[in-house]
Amino acid sequence: MYLRRILSGAIFLVFIVATTKASNAHFGLILPSDGIISQSDNKSITLEAKFIHPMERQYMELTKPKRFGVFHRGKQIDLLPALQEAKGRGPEQSEESTFWETEYLIRRPGDYTFYLEPNPYWEPAEDSYIVHYTKVCVNAFGLEDGWSLPVGLETEIIPLTRPYGLWTNNLFTGQVLLNGKPSAFAEIEIEYLNDSSDNPSVVVPPSDPFITQVVKADANGIFSYAMPRAGWWGFAALNQADWKLPYEGEEKEVEIGAVYWVHATDMQ
Amino acid sequence: MRSYRRHLFVLIILLFLAGSAAWAHKVNIFAYVDAGTVFTESYFPDGKPVINGTIEVRTTKGTIVLEGKTDEQGLFSFPLKEKQPLTIIIKASMGHTSKYILEQTDMSVSP
Repeated sequence: MYLRRILSGAIFLVFIVATTKASNAHFGLILPSDGIISQSDNKSITLEAKFIHPMERQYMELTKPKRFGVFHRGKQIDLLPALQEAKGRGPEQSEESTFWETEYLIRRPGDYTFYLEPNPYWEPAEDSYIVHYTKVCVNAFGLEDGWSLPVGLETEIIPLTRPYGLWTNNLFTGQVLLNGKPSAFAEIEIEYLNDSSDNPSVVVPPSDPFITQVVKADANGIFSYAMPRAGWWGFAALNQADWKLPYEGEEKEVEIGAVYWVHATDMQ
Repeated sequence: MRSYRRHLFVLIILLFLAGSAAWAHKVNIFAYVDAGTVFTESYFPDGKPVINGTIEVRTTKGTIVLEGKTDEQGLFSFPLKEKQPLTIIIKASMGHTSKYILEQTDMSVSP
């Protein structure tokens, strides 16, 4: 009888862990204050680098990234020294987590792809490390010249849809690359950034599967998703790394994610 | 009658093509100041330069200060004489035009 109670308790715990895992998709985020810079706009933009649950508005700790930079007209510029430490928490979180921010002055026309490689994040619930290579593209002064180029990360999403100037309900198509080659049938998790500044009201998902949308890439690593709301949308293509990292003396798997953020705007 | 219709059809198609070409060929101009020289770049969205386009530099009152032509890279530069706001206009073929307003604040910033 006693054993049965322990057993049912254990099953309940496993259930909780399993459902928590399902509802909490991790996302690296680079959030620019503006995605399209025109002549009349402020040419100095702020960029926030975070590690979050976008739909559930929860922060996780982001230690100082390994790499943070911008790819513009074929050149990579290191912005890591410019990152400033900051603290933030979601409305239902009691403790603050670290994130990073910087200002960047857009001086020339063209596509600016900002990218981030974090240090591995240990996730006990998944018994795995997580490394999310994250990108976002800011366009300046009408020159649309670099958004479809790879930055050269271990894994990354290459947009096949121009990643800015998108209307709500547009289809975003991308290709997942792993070590420079298409990642066949990769799983892509998609979440809405509930804290988007142009979100008219906080979205309350009616049940867990609504939090994270899931699509599979085809044999060429190509996937599509139509974004049903104005604001920022994160696409995280997940793969297992072919390398491991030690945790307390044991070799552990590393989940590597290729994350891309795009913004949708309502037609008015 | 038949040939009239055919001509009308071709005309409509041509107008349609011209319209879409005008959109796809949106001309852009960007300007900045470095060490007393105003540098301009004129380009189409995909990065192709506007070659041999006419550049007009005007004061805010509309007086033309300078005229010139873009080179094979879509570039045109000129010395900055006075730190006054300037409107720099690019005129490409088929009436495609665009302008960049260079503010006084842009003139003191070095890249």
